[in-house]
Amino acid sequence: MSTNIIGKPQDRVDGKLKVTGRAMYPGDRQIENLAFGYLLTSAVAKGSIQAMDTTAAEHSPGVAAVYTPFNPLKLYRGLESSEGANSGEILPPLQDQKILNHGQIIGLVVADSFEQARDAAALVKTQYEAEDPVASWEQGMEHSFAPQSVSGENATVKILADGVRSIDDAITGSPVVVDATYTEPIYHHNPMEPHATTAVWHGDRLTIYDATQGVVSHRLNVAAVLGIDEDMVRVLCPFVGGAFGCKGSMWMFSPLTAAAARALDRPVKTILTREQMFTLVGHRPALIQHLTLGASQDGTLQVVKHDVRSTVSFSKAFIEAAAHRTSRLLYKSRNIQVSQTLVPWDVGGPTFMRAPGCAPGMFALECAMDELAAKSGIDPVELRIKNDADIYPGRNVPWSSKNLLECYRLGEEKFGWSKRNSEPGAVRDGDWLVGMGMASALYPAHRNPASAKVRLQADGTAQVSSATQDLGTGTWTVLAIVGADSLELPIEKIRTELGDSALPPAPTSGGSTSVASVTPAIQKAAESAKKKLIQLAARDKKSPFFGMKVEEIAYRNGELAGGGKSADFGSVLSAIGRGSVEATEMAAAGEEEEKYAFHSFGAQFCELKVNRWTGEVRLHRIVSVMDIGTVVNLKAARSQIIGGIVFGIGMALLEGSVLEEKTGRYANANFVDYLVATNADVPNVDVHFINKPDTIFNPVGARGIGEIGITGMPAAIANAAYNATGRRVREFPIRPEKLLPMSPNQPAISMSGS
Amino acid sequence: MEPPADSGPDREGASSRREFIRNLAAISAGLTVAAPLARAVVVTENGIPKSAPPDTGGVQGLTEINLRVNGKGERLVVDPRVTLLDALRDRLELTGTKKGCDRGACGACTVHLDGRRVLSCLTLAVMAQGKEITTIEGLAKGDELHPVQAAFIECDAFQCGYCTPGQIMSAVACINEGHTGSGREIREFMSGNLCRCGAYPNIVDAIKLAAAKMKGGVN
Amino acid sequence: MRPFVYESPSSGQEATSRGSTDSAFIAGGTTIIDLMKLEVMKPSRLIDLNALQMRGIEMREDGLRIGALEKMSDVAVHPEVVANYPVISEALLQSASAQIRNMASIGGNLLQRTRCGYFRDVTTPCNKREPGSGCPAIGGENRMHAILGTSSSCVATHPSDLAVALVALDASIQIQNGANERLIKLDDFYLVPGDTPDHENQLRSGELIAEVHVPRLPWARRSTYLKIRDRDSYEFALTSAAVALDVDGDKIRDIRIAVGGVGTKPWNLPKVREAIAGKPLKQETFAAAAKLAVDGANPLRHNGFKVDLVQRTIVRALMNLGDLT
Repeated sequence: MSTNIIGKPQDRVDGKLKVTGRAMYPGDRQIENLAFGYLLTSAVAKGSIQAMDTTAAEHSPGVAAVYTPFNPLKLYRGLESSEGANSGEILPPLQDQKILNHGQIIGLVVADSFEQARDAAALVKTQYEAEDPVASWEQGMEHSFAPQSVSGENATVKILADGVRSIDDAITGSPVVVDATYTEPIYHHNPMEPHATTAVWHGDRLTIYDATQGVVSHRLNVAAVLGIDEDMVRVLCPFVGGAFGCKGSMWMFSPLTAAAARALDRPVKTILTREQMFTLVGHRPALIQHLTLGASQDGTLQVVKHDVRSTVSFSKAFIEAAAHRTSRLLYKSRNIQVSQTLVPWDVGGPTFMRAPGCAPGMFALECAMDELAAKSGIDPVELRIKNDADIYPGRNVPWSSKNLLECYRLGEEKFGWSKRNSEPGAVRDGDWLVGMGMASALYPAHRNPASAKVRLQADGTAQVSSATQDLGTGTWTVLAIVGADSLELPIEKIRTELGDSALPPAPTSGGSTSVASVTPAIQKAAESAKKKLIQLAARDKKSPFFGMKVEEIAYRNGELAGGGKSADFGSVLSAIGRGSVEATEMAAAGEEEEKYAFHSFGAQFCELKVNRWTGEVRLHRIVSVMDIGTVVNLKAARSQIIGGIVFGIGMALLEGSVLEEKTGRYANANFVDYLVATNADVPNVDVHFINKPDTIFNPVGARGIGEIGITGMPAAIANAAYNATGRRVREFPIRPEKLLPMSPNQPAISMSGS
Repeated sequence: MEPPADSGPDREGASSRREFIRNLAAISAGLTVAAPLARAVVVTENGIPKSAPPDTGGVQGLTEINLRVNGKGERLVVDPRVTLLDALRDRLELTGTKKGCDRGACGACTVHLDGRRVLSCLTLAVMAQGKEITTIEGLAKGDELHPVQAAFIECDAFQCGYCTPGQIMSAVACINEGHTGSGREIREFMSGNLCRCGAYPNIVDAIKLAAAKMKGGVN
Repeated sequence: MRPFVYESPSSGQEATSRGSTDSAFIAGGTTIIDLMKLEVMKPSRLIDLNALQMRGIEMREDGLRIGALEKMSDVAVHPEVVANYPVISEALLQSASAQIRNMASIGGNLLQRTRCGYFRDVTTPCNKREPGSGCPAIGGENRMHAILGTSSSCVATHPSDLAVALVALDASIQIQNGANERLIKLDDFYLVPGDTPDHENQLRSGELIAEVHVPRLPWARRSTYLKIRDRDSYEFALTSAAVALDVDGDKIRDIRIAVGGVGTKPWNLPKVREAIAGKPLKQETFAAAAKLAVDGANPLRHNGFKVDLVQRTIVRALMNLGDLT
C-alpha cells in the first residue's frame, strides 16, 4: 500500500477533542427537561426488604419519583447467554424484595437536579430482614462446583504421556518439583469514568447514551429488559472513559433509567457513584491457584498441574479461566493437567477484567516458573526458552505466528538481564534492596464477525463507519489509519464514525478483538467501494472514463486512471453528479481457525527496590517486548502496553477489594482505600515490538493489544521482589507487611511482634 | 479528520438548556429567579417549609451567585449545597471538567481558582464567587492549543481522555509552580490525578516537553 | 447533603458567636464537603471562615507563628519553615495531593476527621458518629486502624501528618472564642477516644483554631518526616515518624519524636526521647528506644504488623537523620 501509514506513530484523531474538554461522554449529555436519577442500594448482603419509607424523599424538593420494589417499574429478565446476549445480570431490579448482595439496586430516585436526587435518596429509610451472607472461602467451598466447561474444554483437561497413569504419578517421578499456592483478592476495574446512562424517548423510540464497550449488544440487551423491539432502540457512545471489561456487559441500572424516563415522559440521566462502581458493574473474581511443576534436573518440564478455585456470585456464573488459558498451552510438557472449581459468594456478578484468565493465571504460572528456576539453578529466561512450545499441546496445531524466543532475547538485551545477580538479597543500593525479575506474557487472539461501511464522497473525502467503540484504545484512529491505507489517501481525508448502534454492526470491544475484527471489514468495504466507483465511472456518460472496460480502469492513490487519463475520485463523482458511492461489507474468520492456534506473546522485565527497613516496593524500570503481529499505530500501541503494565503494577502491589466475611460488604469501596497506581508509582517503561504481521490470522496481520501488557507484569514484579529480598510472596497484593522481616538481609535490629 | 464531538439526535436541544435549567431550579422550589439572596422559604428535608432561623445574614435555599469562568461573568441561581463541579457541568454546560469520584480522591475535577489548582468537587460554587475560575474549556486561545494541550497530543498522554482535563489543568499548574525539575518531581506533583489507562509515563513526557516550550514565554 | 444556611462572617468574633452544636466552620472544605456528601456531617449552618484575618507565616523571637487559614501548600514552601523546621515542610508535602494542599487550611488539617471506613459509611454503626451504636472496626477490617490509644469504643487512626510533626515539636494552638483566646499544647488538645470517641479534642462549640505556635528550636533544622505507605504518593500513612535530632559528635544531646498512622491521636513519644537523649549515636540506641514506642500497643486482626513497622520507621528515620546509612 502506497500510503505507508500502518505502523507509524500517529496522533489520535480525537486528541484535540479530548484535550479541550469537548469530547462528549455519555454522562456529559445536556438535554432539555433532563431529570437526574440516583440509585438506592442495599445496606445488607442477603435477605429481604421488609419496608421502605419513601415519604420524606417523595416530598423533597424537585423529586419526580421514587421507585422501589414497592413502587416498581416493570422490567423483564435479561437474555440468556445462549441468545447471543451479553448481560452482566439476568435478574431485573425492583421486581421483588429479595436481597442477593450488598450494594444491590433497591430503588431509583429521580429529581430535577443531581443534588435533589442525591439528597432525597438519603432520606429513604429501609428495613431489612438480614441473613448471614456467604462471603469467605471457607463458607463458599461448601457450595463449590465444577463448571460444565471452561474455555470450550472440560473443567479438567488432562494430557498425559504414554504410560503415565495420573498427573500425580508424573509428579512423583519428577526429580525437581515446585508446589505452591497463589492467592489474589477480588479486583475492581474502576475506569475513571463511572458508568452513566442518559435515556431519551421520542414517542416509543429510545435513544440511550451509555458508557458501553458494545453499542450493538447494549441495544439488544436493554430492549429485552424493557420488553421492546431492539429496532426501537439506538445506543450512542462516541467516547468511553475507560472500561477494562466492566462496560462490556449491560448492567441493570441502564434499562431501569430508561424505564423511569418512559414513565416520567422526560429524559433521565443516571451516573453511578464511585462507591456504586464496586457493587453494580462487576469485578474480577478472587482466586486460589495451586501450581505444581515437575522437571528433570536440566529444567525440562515433565509436569504442569494447575488447579484453580475462583469465586462466582450465587446469582451469576462467570469463569475466570486462569489455568485453561495459560498453563494449558504456554509450555511444552509431556504431562499437563488444568482444572477449575467455582466457589460462590453472596456478591454482585463477576465479569471480564483486563486479560481475563491470563492475568491471574500468568501470575501463578510465571511465579512457579521462577521458583523452578531458582530451585534448579537455571536462569529464568533460559528455563522458559528450554520449555518453549512449538505446537499447541494436545491439539497438535502450530501457532499462526509465534516469536516468543525473539521476545526473550531482545528483552534480555534491552533490559541488561545479564547483570542480574541470581542470589536473592545480594544487591543493595543504600537502604534499598535491588531485585530483577521477568515473566512471559500471553493473550489469545480472537476475531469476531464485523461489518464496516466505506463511503467515497464528492468532496474528495472518505467516510469509514462501524458500530465499534473506542474505550481509549485508539479505535477512532485505527479506523482512520486503515481507511487511509485501504483507500491510499492521506489520513486527513478520512472521516470516521463509531459508537452508534445504527452503524454497520460490529462486536463488543473486549478481549483485544476490535482491531482484528473490524479492520478486515474496512479493507473489504474499501475494495468494494472502489469497484463500484470504477463501474460508475465506466458507465456514466459524464465520466471521463465513459465507455472504458472496468478492467482498464485502476484505482490508485485516490485517483482513477486508465486510457492515459486520470482523475481523483471526488471529481469523477462530481462529474457524474453523484454525492458519493459506498459499500458495506462483513468480514469473519475462515477455516484457518481449525488449522492454527492464535496467541500474542511477550516477555516482561522489571527492576525494583525494596526498603530494607520498612519493606515498601518501588519500581525502578520496566522493559517489555511484545509479539502482537502488525503494529497499526505505534504511538497508541506503546501506550496500550504501558497501560497494561500499570494495571499489572496495581494488581501486584496495590489493589485488592476487601470483602467483609461477616457482612458481605466491600470495606474499601472508594478511591482512597482501593489503591490504584499513581504517577509516582510508575517508572520509566521501555516498550518494543517484534512487529511481524500475522496474516494467517487476518489480512492486516494485527492480533490486538489491549490485554497482553498486564499479563506478565504481576509475576515479573513478584519474582523481582523475591530476587531483592529472598521472600516469596504468593499472596497479592505484595504489601510491606508481607515482606517483613526480610531474609537474609534483614536489618540487624530485633523488632518485637515480628 | 477529527470525529464529531457531539454525535446524536439530541444536540439541538442543548442550546436553550442553560436558561431552562435556571428557571426550572427556581420553579421547583417555589421561588422566582428574580429573588437574589432569597430568604423567603427554607425547604426542609421533608419538604415542609419552616420558618427561617434567626437572621444572621446567611444564604439558604436558592440564591443568585455570580461566577467568573474562563474570563466570562456567569450569573446563576443555585442552592448553596451545589459544588463548583456540578455548577460547571449541570448548570453552565462546561462538561469538560469531569467527576471521577466526587470525594476528592482522583483529581478528575481539577480546575484553577485564581491560577491555583483545586478540586471543584470539594468546592462550593457559592464560595468560588469573586475568584477567577479557569476550566479546560478556557485554556486554548481560540483554535490555538495551550502548549500543555499540544504536548499531551504529541506524547499520547491520554487514552480514554476522561481524566485528561484534570491532568492538563494540574499539569499547567505543576509547570507554573516550578515543579518540573526532574521526572521524579513531576511524578510526585502529578500524583493527585489518577489515570486508570496508565498514561503516566507519557504525561511526564508531555509536561517536560511543554515546560521547555513555556520557558520561552509561550504562555 | 442536608440543606444548610451558608454564612460568611468577616471577623473571628462574629464567626465564633454564630457557632453552635448545629453549625460547622468551613475553610478549605476538603474534609467537610466530603463528609457532608456522605451525610456523616449534617450541619444546618455552614460558616465560611475565608473572610477572616487568621493568616500569616512568620518567624518570631519565640518561634514560628502560622495563621490557621494559611494553606498547606503555602506553609510547606515558606522559606522560614523549610529552613527551620524541615519536618513540617516534609509532613505537609507528603500529605494528600497538590490540589488538596492548595485548598486545605492549617487549622482544618489539624481538625480533619478520621478515615475509618465505618465512620464514613452511615449504613454501618460507629461510636464516633453515633455514640453507643458500636464499633465494627474492632471485629472487622482494621489494617489501617490504630494500635495505640485505642479503646473498646474506637480504634480509628488520626489521619493528619502535620499534627504528628507539630506534636513532636511541642507546638501549641491558639483557640479563639469570641473576644477570648487561649493557648493549648497540641498534644493536650487531642483526646484519646475512651468511652467518648465523639469527643476528639478540646475545642468547644463555636471555638476556632486561630494560630499555630511552634517553639523556637534551632536544632530542628535537622529534622525529617518519614511516611510509610503502600503507594508512593497520595495515601494516608501506614506508619510515620516525625523526628528532630540534636547531635554532638557521636553523642545525641536531645531528640524530638512523634509517630503517626498508629495512634488514635498524633502519638507523642516522650519515653523514647528520654531513652535516646544522652546516648551514643548508633543503631542500637535507636532500636532499643523504638521498643518503648509500642508500649501498651493493642494490635487488632489486620494491623499487628504496625507494631513492628512503626519501630522500623523510627529507626530508619533516625538512622537517616543521623547520617548512619
